[in-house]
Amino acid sequence: MEKILEVNDLHISFDTYGGEVKAVRGVTFDLKKGETLAIVGESGSGKSVTTRALARLIPSPPGRIKQGEILFDGKDLAKLKEKEMQQIRGKDISTIFQDPMTSLNPTMKIGNQIMEGLIKHQKMSRAQAKSRAIELLELVGLPNPTERINQYPHQFSGGQRQRVVIAIALACNPKILIADEPTTALDVTIQAQILELMKDIQKKTESSIIFITHDLGVVANVADRVAVMYAGKIVEIGTVDEIFYNPKHPYTWGLLGSMPTLDSTEDSLIAIPGSPPDMLKPPKGDAFAPRNEYALEIDKEMEPPMFKVSDTHYAATWLLHEYAPDIEPPEAVKRRMKGFAQTGAGESKEGERP
Amino acid sequence: MTVTQEKLLEVSNLKQYFKTGRHSVVKAIDGISFDIYKGETFGLVGESGCGKSTTGRTIIRLYDATDGNVKFKGEDVHGKKNSQDLKKFNQKMQMIFQDPYASLNPRMTVMDIIAEGLDVHGLSKTPQERKQRVEELLERVGLNKEHANRYPHEFSGGQRQRIGIARALAVDPEFIIADEPISALDVSIQAQVVNLLKELQEDHGLTYLFIAHDLSMVKYISDRIGVMYFGKLVELADSDELYKNPLHPYTKSLLSAIPLPDPDYERNRQRVEYDPSQHDTSEEPEFREITPGHWVSCTSKEFEAYKQELNKN
Repeated sequence: MEKILEVNDLHISFDTYGGEVKAVRGVTFDLKKGETLAIVGESGSGKSVTTRALARLIPSPPGRIKQGEILFDGKDLAKLKEKEMQQIRGKDISTIFQDPMTSLNPTMKIGNQIMEGLIKHQKMSRAQAKSRAIELLELVGLPNPTERINQYPHQFSGGQRQRVVIAIALACNPKILIADEPTTALDVTIQAQILELMKDIQKKTESSIIFITHDLGVVANVADRVAVMYAGKIVEIGTVDEIFYNPKHPYTWGLLGSMPTLDSTEDSLIAIPGSPPDMLKPPKGDAFAPRNEYALEIDKEMEPPMFKVSDTHYAATWLLHEYAPDIEPPEAVKRRMKGFAQTGAGESKEGERP
Repeated sequence: MTVTQEKLLEVSNLKQYFKTGRHSVVKAIDGISFDIYKGETFGLVGESGCGKSTTGRTIIRLYDATDGNVKFKGEDVHGKKNSQDLKKFNQKMQMIFQDPYASLNPRMTVMDIIAEGLDVHGLSKTPQERKQRVEELLERVGLNKEHANRYPHEFSGGQRQRIGIARALAVDPEFIIADEPISALDVSIQAQVVNLLKELQEDHGLTYLFIAHDLSMVKYISDRIGVMYFGKLVELADSDELYKNPLHPYTKSLLSAIPLPDPDYERNRQRVEYDPSQHDTSEEPEFREITPGHWVSCTSKEFEAYKQELNKN
């Protein structure tokens, strides 16, 4: 499939009074046309910062892109001037933010908020923009769009507001839609509706979606591929089946083990001990080592490179090195892997290590 | 699970109305009844605005109930007037709040936050005893005793929630109401806190009312679960039974909406929508027992239909 976006070795830092916070430390991934890439990780793992950088929404100062490139449409977005970026942001790349309560302007009618981008980017007249706005509200499943277009955000419920935010993001048929925890603030039933809506729209418009979340259930629902981030790096990336049924990184094991499934019977969940590292002073070696019961001596000294598991599956853990001892993943993860072996949804032969 | 069938808390026909204007009233809780047995975890689920948090807050008397009563160990809680009696009851029942950022006083040290209950109830006679008790509690919830002299802003969300738990434990309660104690935390930290709550339950024989909207976590921690919808309890059953044989259409819809960390399951998931107009409206629904321990709010016609549905399975 055609690559629409390529991110190479991206580093982003924030200058604070306490020193330089290295929020993103060398992130590389690509995005294909029409696919959904989910980025998962805890708060502070750098997932939001990475995607905000794609739309150049990092306030500078204090933030800055230290190094790396973001290739989109033959241009390196990391180096564009703000003027040029304004031609792309909201048109080719648009963002759905987490909190529908704060991402709309409370003093503007929602119709005007949707029309804003259309008038600016598509050079539509007000009348054209208005009819397009009504279409968009219909597309996102809001009843009575002709009347509701003249209402203010406070007259909508949380789920409805998120639909409006999605309508704004979709207004200019973006090639890339960045959804930053779009359903975290919503109830499960509303969440299910919004996820279905996003999948429908993706089918119709063929846009690519980068979906940020910490809810693995949501990831399993929407993603084609998954990138797991920890302490400013991608530690494992692969197709959704590879990540859920054949995870290789101990951090991914921990994430999967810490969520109960509906048929889990264990007496206690596998919690990942400790808490994420302080990015003012990222630890030497593998950043996850202090919380990792499977950590090897080398983890304290050297950062693991990305090891190849399959053509689509890579993980950064020394456990995949040929000299590493064989380690049994936790019970809960092994049970997942069994399902994988049966369905055979991908290959993972031992000895395929690079 | 060893649940002795001794009722610790009996809630009957509890109502909580809030006046929102001269003539408008919000019926946040509209006549709900349930019992909580000693040593069990009772989960309460529902969407936001369904009244689950209000239920918890009314039970512990953060709100005065509009109607109905709550009995704790056979004694009516809401009728109590005498402050001496109230104090005794307050010591037995504690609460853990949702937001670990808002529920700790930023101007108090961790020591004072945890010891506040000890001071109010006169449980520590000397300053040394107070300090010792606080340090014990900190270690019990997985923090260090050196943390006692710090302020809440120096801690992460998960650590703060542990402080909230230590505060609730300080007065040796028998019953703890946990109002979405993990919603604000990261996934890996959620598991830590849930494991801690389970351990404490075993060690101290605690009874929990666990309020949440994360249904997979509720199932994991609860022995029995009540499902709320618009201020009413629509279904109540053992947690396995509820997930295996949900009867009320709202419960079915809610269960079908939970995303599970399993791509195969997600690809084949059929979501059920809940349409309140599908109910039989020939009479007011009542809370009826379909099989022992499995209660559903239904009319007599629906009651028969549900019974048949269960027999089929």
